Amino acid sequence: MDEQLRQCLLTLQKTPGMMGHPGLLPLGIPAVDKVLGGGLMRGALHEIAAPGEIHLPAAAGFALGLAVSVPSPRLFWITEDMGLTESGAPHGAGIDAFGFAPERLVTVSTAHRRDLLWAMEEALRCRAVGAVIGEMRAGEIGTVAVRRLSLAAAESGTLALLLRTTPPRDASTAATRWIVGTASSILGREQSEREIRSRFTAHLVRNRHGPAGSWILEWSDIDERLILATHAQPVAAPTFNRSPRQVA
Amino acid sequence: MSSPADAILLESVADWCLRYTPLVAYDAPDGLLLDISGCAHLYGGERELVADLSGRLENAGFGYSIAVAGTIGAAWAAAHYDKPASHACGEERATLESLPLSALRLQTATVAGLARVGLKHIGDIIDLPRAPLTARFRSDVLRQLDRALGHEHEPLTPRLPVAPYVAEQRFAEPIAREEDVLAITRRLARRLQFALERRGDGARRIELTLFRTDGVVRRIAAGTSRPLRDPDDIRELFVERLAALADAFDPGFGFDMARLSVVVAEPCPPEQIGIGGSEDASELCRLVDRLSARLRPRRVRRLIAQDSHIPELAEAVLPAQAVNGDAGWAGFRQYREETKLPPRPLRLLARPEPIEAVAEVPDGPPLRFRWRRALHEVIAAEGPERIEGAWWSEHGGPARDYFRVEDKSGLRFWLFRSGLYRDLAQDAGAPTWFLHGTFA
Repeated sequence: MDEQLRQCLLTLQKTPGMMGHPGLLPLGIPAVDKVLGGGLMRGALHEIAAPGEIHLPAAAGFALGLAVSVPSPRLFWITEDMGLTESGAPHGAGIDAFGFAPERLVTVSTAHRRDLLWAMEEALRCRAVGAVIGEMRAGEIGTVAVRRLSLAAAESGTLALLLRTTPPRDASTAATRWIVGTASSILGREQSEREIRSRFTAHLVRNRHGPAGSWILEWSDIDERLILATHAQPVAAPTFNRSPRQVA
Repeated sequence: MSSPADAILLESVADWCLRYTPLVAYDAPDGLLLDISGCAHLYGGERELVADLSGRLENAGFGYSIAVAGTIGAAWAAAHYDKPASHACGEERATLESLPLSALRLQTATVAGLARVGLKHIGDIIDLPRAPLTARFRSDVLRQLDRALGHEHEPLTPRLPVAPYVAEQRFAEPIAREEDVLAITRRLARRLQFALERRGDGARRIELTLFRTDGVVRRIAAGTSRPLRDPDDIRELFVERLAALADAFDPGFGFDMARLSVVVAEPCPPEQIGIGGSEDASELCRLVDRLSARLRPRRVRRLIAQDSHIPELAEAVLPAQAVNGDAGWAGFRQYREETKLPPRPLRLLARPEPIEAVAEVPDGPPLRFRWRRALHEVIAAEGPERIEGAWWSEHGGPARDYFRVEDKSGLRFWLFRSGLYRDLAQDAGAPTWFLHGTFA
């Protein structure tokens, strides 16, 4: 009975434009794929938030790690001007190290939040684009805007990633919400195998199609994909940037 | 007429005169030259064009003097010394004969010299023997005369480049709504399409000129990333440009004329339809064009690998519309393989930011450093990767030692020490540290 209902719900939830597309992007990590129900959903919006602005490069690296698995991806990376000056611009040689050919990347910078959302939506509607990363700094984003982005992504089957510098407090209609910070690649390792690598703590805090979860992931240069980090220390709960508590 | 405000006014009048011909030139300090060859019939003839022009100038409250003639010299002379709104086509000689010599645009000294020998009017010198005149008054008297009479060609330098393809439309009733402007743009683009197809060209830069009834001229330009012909695509570009302009568009009481010109054209291969790959590519071009039209081309960019070992010069960020095909990354990958290049950061700061760093040994990695007022304890470091400055240049800067470090909380940075201890002069301070990028 339960299973039947679930199947019924799934068919109802399936968005109309998605029929011909391969709907799921397996990350190749069984533990994560199982929670996601087979893989990251294409044609949907995924929010990736850094626990603080300083963790933005890690969140961006994680987003890039997800975008790499899109077959023949033409990537649009849309930022705000302020974000570029604060956190630096995407660097071609570094992107190349993530297994992503920089010639496939188009970067867009916008002066306003409004332009950012518009540019994201335009890019998402284009069938030649595989993935869109929209990077926004602190601030809320309306549910209507999120819904619009989700619909635009569903229409074309494009992977939409919304990168945020602080964990949002608003409820969201995005398919998944992640909080991704950096993790030490040194602590808990033998002296002999100390090597700096790209390692993330990834907390899946919202998932519309399954449970939440937390993992320590690592970018593997050999496999050119994200892998589960070995020798990982236990994952602590995500640290939020809480505003000072109001005193009555 | 001398103040900058007057110059600006003259410029706006020149803009407005574009409705008659694309060839408008300044005639400092207070005149404009219009080449109306082949344009007059659009108004029903030269006299009708002058009537239209003078009517509009009068409505705007300008004092003016207009002359039409077969040569620039004759028209200038007639406009400055004959009755206003004179017409001297085909009778340049008769018109010029009665005018004073200064109408030939000669230097005052020359005019005074000619007056001393009793030559006061142009008619006095037209039939004089040329050799003695040249011997006494230099050749420019005769050259100006020849130019005015049409014996010698005088070039006109238009203030705006002349577009190779132009289509225009005048309206009986002014239009003001954005949809109407876009519809007319599409119609004009359709007209241009035939001309472009015939010559095998496509548009790379398109300009829409809108003439407002009160004389204000709006010029809206849009670029494309590939040669474009399709009227619908061209209309799409202007949808975004108008959206970006928003209130600055300001149609006022409406536009009574529109002109669409292809400013830059490029050869364009015949359309291919239905081949998967190219369709995707054209979708992408369309998207890049739309984004560039709304956000301006410099905001939509691609990364191009450059042939340089200095990190900030190793990559150029160029407008996506200007970049075609390969961006040079294949060469970079080969270089990385060959030299075993150490890792590069995911994000590079616009310029290296100075940090306060403490190192254990002079040439070693830092123990801790302060960046943007936060203290970072380094627990692991890789490096140094020594990158020499541009030693062949005076402003090349010192050598840098780059380190990839990880701090206690797991943040990874790309730092460098500018200058080596061994190169330090006796009296100089310690080398300075900078943070250049962040790793994922």
